[in-house]
Amino acid sequence: MELAELLQYVVAGLKSGAVYALVALGFTIVYGSTGIINFAQGEFFMLGGVLSVWYYNAGLALPLAGLCGVLTTVVVGLLFERIALRPRRSAGALVLVVITIGASMVMKSLARHLFGPDEAMLPVFTPGPSLDIGGVAIERQTLWVWAITIVVVIFLTWLYKRTRFGRAMRACSISHDAARLMGIDTARVVMVSFGMAAALGALAGLAVAPLTQTAWDVGGPMGLKGFAAAILGGLGNPLAAVVGGLVLGLLESLSVAFLSSTYKDAISLLVLLIVLFVRPQGLLGRARREKV
Amino acid sequence: MKMLRRGKSLSRAGKSGALVLALLGVVMLIVVPLAGPERYLLKVLDFVGIAVIVTAGLALLFGYAGQVSLGHAGFVGIGAYTSAYLVSTVGVPWLVGVAAAVLLSTLGGLILALPSLRLKGHYLAMATLGFNEIIYVMFREARGITGGHDGFGGIPYPSIGGFTIDTPLGVYLLVWAVAALVVFFVWSLVQGRPGRAMRALHGSEIGAEASGIDTVKLKVRVFALSAALAGLAGALYAHAIGFISPSSFGLDQSIIYLAIVVVGGGGSIVGPVVAAILLSLLPYADALLPNLSQSTVTLLQAWETDIYGLTMIVVAILAPGGLASLMRRRKGREETVSA
Repeated sequence: MELAELLQYVVAGLKSGAVYALVALGFTIVYGSTGIINFAQGEFFMLGGVLSVWYYNAGLALPLAGLCGVLTTVVVGLLFERIALRPRRSAGALVLVVITIGASMVMKSLARHLFGPDEAMLPVFTPGPSLDIGGVAIERQTLWVWAITIVVVIFLTWLYKRTRFGRAMRACSISHDAARLMGIDTARVVMVSFGMAAALGALAGLAVAPLTQTAWDVGGPMGLKGFAAAILGGLGNPLAAVVGGLVLGLLESLSVAFLSSTYKDAISLLVLLIVLFVRPQGLLGRARREKV
Repeated sequence: MKMLRRGKSLSRAGKSGALVLALLGVVMLIVVPLAGPERYLLKVLDFVGIAVIVTAGLALLFGYAGQVSLGHAGFVGIGAYTSAYLVSTVGVPWLVGVAAAVLLSTLGGLILALPSLRLKGHYLAMATLGFNEIIYVMFREARGITGGHDGFGGIPYPSIGGFTIDTPLGVYLLVWAVAALVVFFVWSLVQGRPGRAMRALHGSEIGAEASGIDTVKLKVRVFALSAALAGLAGALYAHAIGFISPSSFGLDQSIIYLAIVVVGGGGSIVGPVVAAILLSLLPYADALLPNLSQSTVTLLQAWETDIYGLTMIVVAILAPGGLASLMRRRKGREETVSA
């Protein structure tokens, strides 16, 4: 295999890796501030794409349609937290798993009723020929995907490290009770976390809508990959989620290059199961011991 | 007679549960066949009976032991494909096919029990979900054995020796006889020590261990048993319906099984069994109510997933004890009134 061809696979891997990273960040933010693994995270991805397409077809300009798509998804995320999760916030993991799974079922199915069963696509954000760098072609939309991911990472780093709210989020991830005793409005932190997770999922869905088709059923597989990425890095750590996403994307792409494309989707499942069995705390995480 | 003698040592809840189950058994095994139902209704009731078997196993695992599984449709699939392949392609007797199906799905359950020893709650849910996805991909890709996307058809009817059960009523009776046996077995299991041990595990793993329960052994056993029952259900399904395809064994179906147990309620066998009957009848309501208009039925089927999902959420939020706790609560009220 020539170098240029290999690099082409690397570019493809980093492209899907960036998308996984965005979805993984959604998982990690919610997990960080609540300890919940949100099984509906993939549906935010789906909603971002499907809703943007809907707004676009309704006649809105592309940037506006994308914005509305993301904002609507955020509203869905906030409502989901407020209506379905907050009443049972203190319940055990089993109840919360059941609620988020039920919600993902409903979101997916409602999307099919509202927007139809067909696949749809958005036009690329900026039309034009692919960039050619040393024989490696990079689509313009890929640059958008990367740009969105980089902006999100910078924004999150700033939020977590520099703002009061970010400090409140970090406090919640250590201990809800202690955070509340320090005067932090934990309910608000949780709600905003869900809003942010919805926004990140939707952004990812919007960014790839011009590249791959979007439809009501794309959320499940993407949720699985996003979670695999999040846990590969180590749940709860935003930077680890990004690393996990990129590594997963590269693994997938290189498996296509060296093995075959039938195994591409199995890679993330394999990664997921191996990490869960061998190192549930992820590559970058530290093991936690359960106390009585 | 033996049952009656055991009945004396049972709690009140156990007694009323036994009554509900016995009543259900009588209705399904005697009253329905006597009513001379049509072919379509019998087929629908086959589906219901199979769901009851899977539910009984999952109620043990999730409702009693508190171990979540999003992989049960995968086990049903393992059972279905194993028996279908062995009986129709290899040509072994039906009973051998069913035994192999149960064996193989038990093996799957043992494999899935491994993560449960390290993981719990959300993580275990994800691991079992990943398991189901992998199984699903295998069903789809191993075309030589499973027939891939197009499915596996022409599976022979159940037969024992030279006797073939090939009438709709015969198949129905077989499915429900097995279902009744399974439910009775599972129900009597939870009345005793294993049931208490599972509930202890659900309450607190460390507490259960401190009380002398070997939690590792218990988890492995419950997972294996639960998977074995799902595999049995799958084998029955394959031969009762005659056609299987991967889409019946995907994650969505696993979620529906979980939804059934959630609606039925934890720490109960009767609740989930009733929920299994109600929820799996829902999309085929026209089989029971022939006057139902076609548009209502289409609507019900189109919104099936939404109804399951919403019911699951509403029950988890408003009535976390499910049907079982509603029944218990009503009973409790009656008792206070009479006392």
